[in-house]
Amino acid sequence: MNDSVLRLIPVIVFFAGLMGVGIYVQRQSADAKAQNFSKEYFIGGRSLGGFVLAMTLVATYGSVSSFLSGAGKAWETGFGWVYYATSNVVAAFLILGVFGKKMAIVGRKTDSVTVIDVLRARYRSNGLSYICAATILIFFTTQMVSQFIGGAQLFAACTGFDYTIGLLIFAAVVVVYTTIGGFTAVAITDTACAIVMVIGTILLGIAVIQKGGDLDAIMESISSQSVQAVASGEGIDLLEPRASGRIPFQLYLSQWLLCGFTTIGLPQSQVRCLGYKDTKSVHKAMIYGTVVVGIMMIGIHLIGIWSRGLFTTVDGSTDTVIPVVVVNYMFPILGGVAIIGPLAAAMSTVSSLLIAGSSAIVKDMYLHYKAEKREEPNQKLVAKISFAVTAVMGILAVIIAVNPPDLIVWINMFAFGGLQTVFFWTMLFGLFWKAANKVGAIASVIGGLSSYCITMALGISIGSFHNIIIGLAVALICFVIGNKFGTPIDDKTGKIFFPEKY
Amino acid sequence: METKKEKEELSYKEKFIQINKEAKATWIVGAIAFIVWLAGGFGVYLSVGNSWTILGMPAWFILGSFGCWFAGIIGVVYLLKFVFKDFDLESDEEDTNE
Repeated sequence: MNDSVLRLIPVIVFFAGLMGVGIYVQRQSADAKAQNFSKEYFIGGRSLGGFVLAMTLVATYGSVSSFLSGAGKAWETGFGWVYYATSNVVAAFLILGVFGKKMAIVGRKTDSVTVIDVLRARYRSNGLSYICAATILIFFTTQMVSQFIGGAQLFAACTGFDYTIGLLIFAAVVVVYTTIGGFTAVAITDTACAIVMVIGTILLGIAVIQKGGDLDAIMESISSQSVQAVASGEGIDLLEPRASGRIPFQLYLSQWLLCGFTTIGLPQSQVRCLGYKDTKSVHKAMIYGTVVVGIMMIGIHLIGIWSRGLFTTVDGSTDTVIPVVVVNYMFPILGGVAIIGPLAAAMSTVSSLLIAGSSAIVKDMYLHYKAEKREEPNQKLVAKISFAVTAVMGILAVIIAVNPPDLIVWINMFAFGGLQTVFFWTMLFGLFWKAANKVGAIASVIGGLSSYCITMALGISIGSFHNIIIGLAVALICFVIGNKFGTPIDDKTGKIFFPEKY
Repeated sequence: METKKEKEELSYKEKFIQINKEAKATWIVGAIAFIVWLAGGFGVYLSVGNSWTILGMPAWFILGSFGCWFAGIIGVVYLLKFVFKDFDLESDEEDTNE
């Protein structure tokens, strides 16, 4: 058997397992779904335990771009990039510690299944809900596309399949298990994905160190490359945090927002706060999540720079560094296991985006419309619509990914920041600032998002800061100003969201 | 200290007072992780450059990256032991506050 086929075996086994989970969950939850379809399908009946909560959060968050672009950047720029990626470690415990319990309690009290349900219950604004739902749909689609592209490229590079065939196989698996299994299947498969991401990272690490001789030999090679770079004035000092000026300090600070503190503004992460069982689960998840996100984020970037000790040039984009390691330096079967890591990263991100995106249409638009007309929705019809919407969204993203636009990181980061400008302040102030009202929230969302997208598209930035700074600052200012024109919170809502003030 | 591990009977209002405290403490741990990252990384690099190494790798990287990660883990353990409380997420008091 040739190497590509050997590499394919673990991947196929893994794919089959994921499909199995989808089918199993669909059979298991049939009774609960007959009762209240959307609660079961979109939030898994609020039953996640600590371990699964942590893994689904981390797997959703860790995307294929960290494995491909991130590791490639570390290979190119050195230890500075690993240091740069470290800001990710606060993401897991911050969202659970800050939003976790309040969203869980309020969500139960107001019967919320989605992030937008919570915002609607708080601000009582249809306008705001529709803007938020539209933002989710647009950005989730671009993010899904970028994950599909990354996953399919990797699949193609490591197994020798054609890109389009790789895309179709890989995308079909995600779309099918997400569509039939809903949120519970997403959470379980995410857990499996997170576990193989950790295993893949460890296998890659071992392979790189073994092939490089040992860590000392690798470091010696990196040091001599750095010395040469400094002496010649060309190339990058791999041992300097600013990577010979490639990573300015302002970029580091922006990164701490974009991939650290304001990640609590990502709706695909926030929705997990509605899905867990009890306080013990959220406590455990804070620990597990922080440990695992560190292994993955520091680990995969560290492997990127260590690979510099194996090879000093790559053909084409630095995104190919990890595939090069898998193909050229790993025993095929183990290489197959290692590439499941990044594939799993892509799949687990797609599945979560897909289910949350579908909920934005079904729950936030269709079911809300029914509720306003005071019609009791037929659960069977809701089920059919939900399956259809999920499947169509997934297929649409695949079609876009067949003819892919460039630069995975760029697309992904655009969506990442856009979502944060919309959901960071609205959720934070919604839950913690009683005076916040709907005019402030709408002003913030419109002002923040448009300033972010416009400055991003035109390439306008302040200093070397990332535009997320502009987006978040404008969103904050608009919130505070807009808030002056709104009416204060009514007592009924107030007593749900701010009982401590009464 | 041991009593903290049991589920506490808190009213709806008391839960929110507790949650606000927990949220604030979580932000503080986040800020500490950032400070460790800054001091362990840039702080060490600006004062000793690359003259220190740990396992052959630059000390500023190990202290900044792994230091930040460990600070986060230790911080969360502290939060769970001393700040966070277990309580029921369902509210039994059915709209007594009407």
